Amino acid sequence: MGADEVGSTGGIEVRVREFLEQEIGDRGRSIDRDADLLSGGVLDSMAVVRLASFVGAAFGFQVRPEDFVIENFRSVGAIAAYVVRSRATQGAEDGGVTD
Amino acid sequence: MTKLLHHLLDEAATRSPDGVAVRCEGASLSWEDLAVRAWGLAGILLDRGVRPRDRVAVFVDKGLRVPVAFYGTMAAGATLVPIDPRSPAGQVSRILRDTGATLLVTEPGKRRTVIEALADCPEVAQVIGIDPGDDLGRAATPWKSVDAEQRDSLPSVRLIERDPCYILHTSGSTGLPKLILHTHFSATSFVDWAVSEYGIKPDDRLSNHSSHHTCFATFDFYAAAAARASTVILTPSEMMMPGSLSELLERERVTIWYSVPTALVQLSLRGGLDYRDLTALRWVLFAGEVFPGKHLQRIMRQIPAARFSHVYGSTEVNVCTYYHLPPVAELRGALPIGRPCSTSSVMVVDDAGAEVPPGTAGELLVRGSTVMSGYWGDPERNTAILVQRPAAGGLTETYFRTGDRVREHDDRNLAFVARADRQVKVRGYRVELEEVESVLLSLPDVEEAAAFTVEDGEGSLAIRAAVVGGGTQDDPAGRRILDDLSSLLPPQALPERIYRVPSMPRTPTGKIDGKALKKQLTEAEDRHGR
Repeated sequence: MGADEVGSTGGIEVRVREFLEQEIGDRGRSIDRDADLLSGGVLDSMAVVRLASFVGAAFGFQVRPEDFVIENFRSVGAIAAYVVRSRATQGAEDGGVTD
Repeated sequence: MTKLLHHLLDEAATRSPDGVAVRCEGASLSWEDLAVRAWGLAGILLDRGVRPRDRVAVFVDKGLRVPVAFYGTMAAGATLVPIDPRSPAGQVSRILRDTGATLLVTEPGKRRTVIEALADCPEVAQVIGIDPGDDLGRAATPWKSVDAEQRDSLPSVRLIERDPCYILHTSGSTGLPKLILHTHFSATSFVDWAVSEYGIKPDDRLSNHSSHHTCFATFDFYAAAAARASTVILTPSEMMMPGSLSELLERERVTIWYSVPTALVQLSLRGGLDYRDLTALRWVLFAGEVFPGKHLQRIMRQIPAARFSHVYGSTEVNVCTYYHLPPVAELRGALPIGRPCSTSSVMVVDDAGAEVPPGTAGELLVRGSTVMSGYWGDPERNTAILVQRPAAGGLTETYFRTGDRVREHDDRNLAFVARADRQVKVRGYRVELEEVESVLLSLPDVEEAAAFTVEDGEGSLAIRAAVVGGGTQDDPAGRRILDDLSSLLPPQALPERIYRVPSMPRTPTGKIDGKALKKQLTEAEDRHGR
């Protein structure tokens, strides 16, 4: 997978689905981007902790304590948006982007 | 006058009809809303032929239907059997069969699990809460009929306080769930103590963290009802995300919290408490496992306005001892489990059942008004656990064997020593697994720890441990932890191996599930051909 693909929302979603497939089997690969991962019994609290560490490691940013909110992890789509946002802001803080 | 558990709702609805009874995800029911729905459901149950003492199971997710289904079932005179909402069909089916339930209250989201579970339960003749259908194979009444069936008054059913009220089940993650029968008397005795001890008032808001099939929920729902306070039900998503949870505590201005320590550790580490205004929170109660000291001290500093209370008991006794913590600066050493509640009388005995002097460790026995009637359908276990001891006048008294070893300190507080069944022998030496865990937890960065034993292949046991945290990056095999431990534990108590795990498996109340953990770790090894 090329760097461009990983950087796009679609590429992030593919990687998250691969992780979900490992966690919950085949239905992880085809899970809808808006399907609720937290309340629907898809993931338990252990899997959520693993998901958070996977996301941070796979996309090269730090998952901060204050990031543990429903909005960031509710669905595959929400996780992708959170990754994009975090990479942009953490990149900026690291001096990667200047105004 | 006879006081039954659902009378708490009747009284609250009469005295504070418009007061908020229960809230969940921003929606709420007033005491009157809740009562008319519950009494409506009771009417439907009676109409379907439910008789006093029949078992009615309730299998619904966390939400506003929980108290409707609970009070409705009790008001019909039935014995409530709440089922863990996360149970797979096999567990639902087993609980229905073992309790002899004849009716199930559920909801549309559970339809598939219910149909699978009911295939093995011919005794369950009726289902409430889902639409009828050929796939169900029995009569069904949908929720919309329940919602339409509102009733102003409690149906007349004759019960006494010592009649069964509910049967709670344990997790049964690696065995059969235990079924624990409480009466209206044991439930209201606990509730009365809790309302008085924590001074619960109508303007209090109690969070409901634990699943409603556990004894924690007895406090969250019924102590709130007795005080006409509100219960704020936390959903699984809110509980999984500590940042969202702390935001909710602030927004809902929760005043009383009750959970296992784990939930508070997560809140403390990842809940962003430093940015939250939790000044409304006045009591934090915790129970179920040892609260690691460093985490406890941190959260006490993060929520300085709250008082902390360590409550001790098990589903079989509700709560039997309690200890209100001093300010954080005055905390010293291991936390005691405290002194008996006004409902309970305790005794510490040796292996032969003789009372031991203060300062000597022994098993804790409890007698009192909050103790269960017994395990449902398990006479052998009842004989072993509910023991008769001679009393004056040629009479006997029934004591519950807690299975916990405790010691009475000079200040008369009881201190927990170990689970009787967690004291193990390693090559002839006695080792307390709790001690291994507490030393692990004292190491920097170790968030959670669990110790267990495996057979060492030489006729004895070996200790292994799993940890969360502890500088995982550059020490994958846990060697540095083992080095640190070797100066803190005697050689026989040293784990032969330390596993790093991202998180611990949990029982439904949130305690570390040691049996499931051991199974996971050792089965993974078997698969890898070790």
